[in-house]
Amino acid sequence: MRVKGVGGKGKRRWANVTVGFSVGLKVVGQGPDKEEVEDLTKEFLAESQEGLERMELCLTQLEKKPDDDELVAEIFRAVHTIKGTTGFLGFGRLEKLAHAGESLLGALRNQKLTVNTGLISVLLELMDGLRNILQTIEATGTEGERTTDNDDALIARLAVLKAGELVANAEPTSQNREVEQPIQSSVPDAGQQALPAVASGVAVAAGSSIQDKTLRIDVEVLNRMMNLVGDLVLTRNQILRSAPGAENFPELARRLDSVTAELRESVMLARMQPVGHLFRKYPRMVRDLAKTCGRLVRIEFEGQETGLDKSLLEAVRDPLTHAVRNAVDHGIEPPEERVKAGKPMEGVVRLRAFHHSGYVVIEVIDDGAGISTERLLLKAIERGLVTPEQAEAMTQREALQLVFVAGFSTTQEVTSISGRGVGLDVVRSNMEKVGGSVELESRLGSGTTLRMRVPLTLAIIPALVVRSGGESFALPQNSLVELVYVPQHEAEHAVERMGTTELYRLRESLLPLVWLDRLLGLEHSADAERHDFYIAVVESEDRRFGLVVDDLKAPEEIVVKPLSTELREIGVFSGATVLGNGTLALILDVAATGARAGVRPAAEEGTVVDAKPAEDETAQIELENSMVIYETGQRQSSEGGDDGRMAMPLSAVERIESVPLSEIEYAGGRAVLQYRGELIPLEDDANVLRALAQAEATASTGDAQKDGATATVLICLRPEANGVRRVGMVVRRVLDVSAGRLLAADAAASEEQLAMVKNRVTAVHRGFAQQAGKPRTAILKEVA
Amino acid sequence: MRNTEVKQADAGDAIPICSLRVGTGLYGIETRQIREVLGTTAPRRVPLAPEYIAGVLPYRGEVLTTVSFRALLGLEKWDGANCVLVFDDEENKERFGLMVDGVVGVIAVQQNALEANPSGLDARSQELFDGAYKLPSGLIVRLDPQRLRPSRLAESGLFGSENGSHERLKLERQGEQ
Repeated sequence: MRVKGVGGKGKRRWANVTVGFSVGLKVVGQGPDKEEVEDLTKEFLAESQEGLERMELCLTQLEKKPDDDELVAEIFRAVHTIKGTTGFLGFGRLEKLAHAGESLLGALRNQKLTVNTGLISVLLELMDGLRNILQTIEATGTEGERTTDNDDALIARLAVLKAGELVANAEPTSQNREVEQPIQSSVPDAGQQALPAVASGVAVAAGSSIQDKTLRIDVEVLNRMMNLVGDLVLTRNQILRSAPGAENFPELARRLDSVTAELRESVMLARMQPVGHLFRKYPRMVRDLAKTCGRLVRIEFEGQETGLDKSLLEAVRDPLTHAVRNAVDHGIEPPEERVKAGKPMEGVVRLRAFHHSGYVVIEVIDDGAGISTERLLLKAIERGLVTPEQAEAMTQREALQLVFVAGFSTTQEVTSISGRGVGLDVVRSNMEKVGGSVELESRLGSGTTLRMRVPLTLAIIPALVVRSGGESFALPQNSLVELVYVPQHEAEHAVERMGTTELYRLRESLLPLVWLDRLLGLEHSADAERHDFYIAVVESEDRRFGLVVDDLKAPEEIVVKPLSTELREIGVFSGATVLGNGTLALILDVAATGARAGVRPAAEEGTVVDAKPAEDETAQIELENSMVIYETGQRQSSEGGDDGRMAMPLSAVERIESVPLSEIEYAGGRAVLQYRGELIPLEDDANVLRALAQAEATASTGDAQKDGATATVLICLRPEANGVRRVGMVVRRVLDVSAGRLLAADAAASEEQLAMVKNRVTAVHRGFAQQAGKPRTAILKEVA
Repeated sequence: MRNTEVKQADAGDAIPICSLRVGTGLYGIETRQIREVLGTTAPRRVPLAPEYIAGVLPYRGEVLTTVSFRALLGLEKWDGANCVLVFDDEENKERFGLMVDGVVGVIAVQQNALEANPSGLDARSQELFDGAYKLPSGLIVRLDPQRLRPSRLAESGLFGSENGSHERLKLERQGEQ
């Protein structure tokens, strides 16, 4: 090849490379040659795969816009590049196939052929063929020499199509018929080939491993990073040169700070990849799938430019593929049914990506039949997943989440009835693994939306720092359900035992307790139960338990650092992080901690858990009647010494906020709060605000206002004549959340409703009593 | 002590070693094998980790697993000043720290002053030590950082992997003596 005729020193490198190729790939080459070859091959593979991805997208577009010359040119370029490079690298088989494809595309480009479905199918086949060879090269380093690795049939088909050009030229009028003749035979063939290709979506994803490892970065971004590194070096030099205690030290420190922040930002930016990269392969997949299932489906994209961390992009790939496949396969109805339902023949699957409060949300929306919750619930009851009573109480939204329950989704009947649910539990667990979540929305007859929420980056997660045995540990927020404070005087009685297991009654259900210090073999005071402690109620991988810790520190956004293998093998820690004060804290793997402590997943205990609510319906009802108990400022000690204890149905409380006094505004003598873009009135019957303001005024006379006083506000949903509106309740402090029972209203009594909470009669905030026992979602719906 | 040894180094193929103090013993590691020496640090202990893991340290944006040489020798815990030597292991991409009581200094020794481990060393010493430099002032036990990698220590299975192995190790040593 190129070796011949190469002379002179300047070209020696080329010569080496080519020699390395012709020999190197079969006989393992020596030293640098081999390495160089490998580098070139890797680069070639990554480039070609990208080219094929572009080709895939163009092909599916071409089907809709057959006259677009740009698209044809783009496809031609992709194949041409592969052909050119392969010849140089010495992959004969690949070259042969690419050549056949190129000549067909050449004819197409010169408008000697016209685009039709058959042609597209064969071109897609060509693409699969090329991709297969590329994958073989990546896996084995050779093109594969088995007899099955033969492309003659495909090449022949390409040639036949190409030949159609001649016929077309001779007899322009019969062009279509003549050309389609050979294609007809190839169409079912294409279908058969496409099916395994789609079914093995995972394999395809795995095949792109070289792409996973390489990343394309805008040179601008890289330049900016380099500039910042230069700045960093400069600042370092200045700091090193400056004498200790130099005057300009604060300035240098500030500059260092800003340079580091900028550098971090640009590295993060470089890791961001547009979600559109993921979307590229779906047009083809949807096209093939729609053909095999006999649907007419169009795919649409929105927000392709939304950026997502590279590693997360890979993590989302499989769940998303699954969701799209589900939408086409089960979501969209066959054309006849759609017409009957008065919808356009062609169904639409829409992929939509956007940023929302620190997450990237990816939605897969179809306009198909939707899911019938009634049938879903029937099935769930049949399978023993829920009791009929539970099913009754479930909102539509809650019922829909059943499709994510493992085991529920795998049954064939459910799939055929509800139309959804194959392996959605896998989608959920995959998403949870990367700190995301997934939910389903569906309206019968008008479609289903699967919404995946992905954190922006894996490396930084919100966590709660806890103290145990004198050391700090970080607890990822996503596994944290709630926190319970057990004060000293209750500590002794709070923990109950069954055999060796320690339990805590949390709203009348038993929660197994795990003492973190004991589990980790840390020193703990013998009378640990005598002093106050916190229970972090955590849930992960279906294990729910209370983690007992000594103290809680502030929630922090932590940067996750991996641990060395030996320490990872302990199994309890998923990483470490440097806290704000510069010390290291270990990050707890909640599921593994539970497993180590012997807490079994709820699924394994299945029957026990499911049977409990049925046996004891009152417990279930009481759970629904959870009350937030709080203290208002009112001192009614003369009456019965209830020091202003009040209760509010938990379902009515949306959030408990700590609001700085300075943020509370007054309009016409009434306190109002700007809350998430909404102006909500504050109710302050007990004049807590005034008391707080006074306390602050007296405090601030001595000392400058440091952190300002805050008021505790319950953001509540109150039903009113025309729907529900949000109000804020100013309270002195929130005491607890506990099960409560409304007492029958006494006609003689005032408007006040009374409830039995923690064996004490407590007044329920007026206007809210009727919401006790209603699930929050029901109330929220009224808001909407 | 240091001066005499530096003089000695003048002749022939002398190599610089970093001499370390752990308990009452002197140990040496070739300086080219050391990436960095950190002053007194307080590694974050890792519960449930083997006794010989002193803990983890933040180091250049990574978490550095640190091996306690005292624990490996079966010595008592030591709360005083310490030094952590950082080693790199390119092949296995494993970076780790070794905690010792202190660094004495850098001395140059001649290659021929090195003698391999004598027979009759117990299995653990055989595993930890890599011969000794015979110097006029006494022996400096040579250490090979690659042998002290946490992963290798775990594989050897000689150093216990659970809490409390420290005590067991001590008892065994007493029995041997």
